[in-house]
Amino acid sequence: MLPSHCPAATHQLPTSACRRTSPAALPCPRAGASPVAEALLHRGLRAESLPRHVAVVMDGNARWARARGLPSSVGHEAGRRALEEMVRLSGAWGIRALTAFAFSNENWSRPKVEVDFLMGLFEQVIHDSVANFLREGIRLRVIGDRSRLPVSLQKISREAEEATRNNSLLNLTLAISYSGRREIVQACRKLAEKVQRKALRAEDIDEALFADELATGRASDGFPYPDLLIRTSGELRLSNFLLWQSAYSELFFTDTLWPDFGEADYLEALSSFQSRDRRFGERKL
Amino acid sequence: MSRPSVIINLTLGLLWFIVHLAINFFSLWSHLIYNIEYYLISFGLFPKYRKFQLERLKYLAVVVDIREAKNVAKIKQLLCWLSTIGVKYVCLYDIDGVLKKTFEPAINGSRDVNSGSYLDVGANMKVLTCCQKEMTVEYISGSDGKEGIAKAANLLCSTYFNGDKDTCGNDEIVFTEADMSGALKAIGCGGPEPDLLLVYGPARCHLGFPAWRLRYTEIMHMGPLNSMKYGAIVKAFYNFSKKYQNFGK
Repeated sequence: MLPSHCPAATHQLPTSACRRTSPAALPCPRAGASPVAEALLHRGLRAESLPRHVAVVMDGNARWARARGLPSSVGHEAGRRALEEMVRLSGAWGIRALTAFAFSNENWSRPKVEVDFLMGLFEQVIHDSVANFLREGIRLRVIGDRSRLPVSLQKISREAEEATRNNSLLNLTLAISYSGRREIVQACRKLAEKVQRKALRAEDIDEALFADELATGRASDGFPYPDLLIRTSGELRLSNFLLWQSAYSELFFTDTLWPDFGEADYLEALSSFQSRDRRFGERKL
Repeated sequence: MSRPSVIINLTLGLLWFIVHLAINFFSLWSHLIYNIEYYLISFGLFPKYRKFQLERLKYLAVVVDIREAKNVAKIKQLLCWLSTIGVKYVCLYDIDGVLKKTFEPAINGSRDVNSGSYLDVGANMKVLTCCQKEMTVEYISGSDGKEGIAKAANLLCSTYFNGDKDTCGNDEIVFTEADMSGALKAIGCGGPEPDLLLVYGPARCHLGFPAWRLRYTEIMHMGPLNSMKYGAIVKAFYNFSKKYQNFGK
């Protein structure tokens, strides 16, 4: 497998061709810099130009397991550890929002054994993580079609959301049973309900009102649109994830399978983001 | 400052310079290798790039950064190349509608109503003949994206409440994806989902390409339009032809 930075693997020009500055320098820590800024500087990143909201499509668990001759459940467990690490790093580096695509609407078509395992895994992860979230100031939100989730998972999600609602250091959004198109249709339905209640006229519906009704509009507390969207395992598509919200997201596709996505890969993605010429003028996002 | 510390500083400075030089050299070398590869592909020297199948590529979309969308000559050259390769349908997008405005007189002059009807496409289309090959070109902008979805929502709500005067205030409102697709088509913002989307510009973003049409589209960043290469397009299409999608299943 070609390394993820190789354009032949990712169908992208060498990043040096797109950089508008000279090759990344390794700046020296400055006196008085905060510990976070210093930690980032040591890694070649500038704190002031990090993305505020990172989204990730966690793809490749099953392939990772198959490559090792293991059942997919082992891959999903390894994927869980990768997500935990990404949450820790995001908090440590001052990322304000992280949205992770855990289970799509289309994933319901997978074998029942795998789906049941994943539902159980999500429940266990949320249950086991609440204490850590409270300690680290992480707010949890779950978006997606909850009606299809097991009742126990719905309950534990609601309880975790309630328990962490006052946290503000990092907004963690898990997209479970999520579909970008369904989200758009649901936003439409919510607007129609407002029209029905006479709280709104149909002709007043515009982009801003529509965006407010999206699940992510309420989930990310001021950072609804990801600045950086990462997809692992070499796939180059959104797969019905954050279709509306990703208009100006820097897309970073890497061949690394999700369970192998660690600090070095995250740094590479953040570094790629910082090297981009991302001038969108005064465009309303 | 003592002599040893001066020597250390100079040594570190020299090492820093060498590292920078090595990185620059490596970047230049990588860039050179890729450009040579693209030129060799253009001359048809790699058999695999001459013989791949394009059947899976039914609809292609191209997103152009607004700063580059004004380069009419490059856009025309791109369309010509795509036609040469065998692309039958291209959707050109830039957020401000520069392409739509630039080619609008030509669109109005040669609009073929029939060519769009089966594709659920709006009015901004033309059939292009380039190198004796026909290709349908659709021009869209940001107004067909988020603005289009908001208008579709407006239409859905208006139709729902105006169509049934007996609608009870407590009736549960149910919209489906098919309803939204129909509404988008009705306002001229329908259109096929591209199989592949090429992004030309400095940033790797789709810049607001209509969200409804992006579900499973492969997205490839091609770099600046000014430095586009025929070989890079061929390679992108070849890589696309090798892709496998399981659609989440």
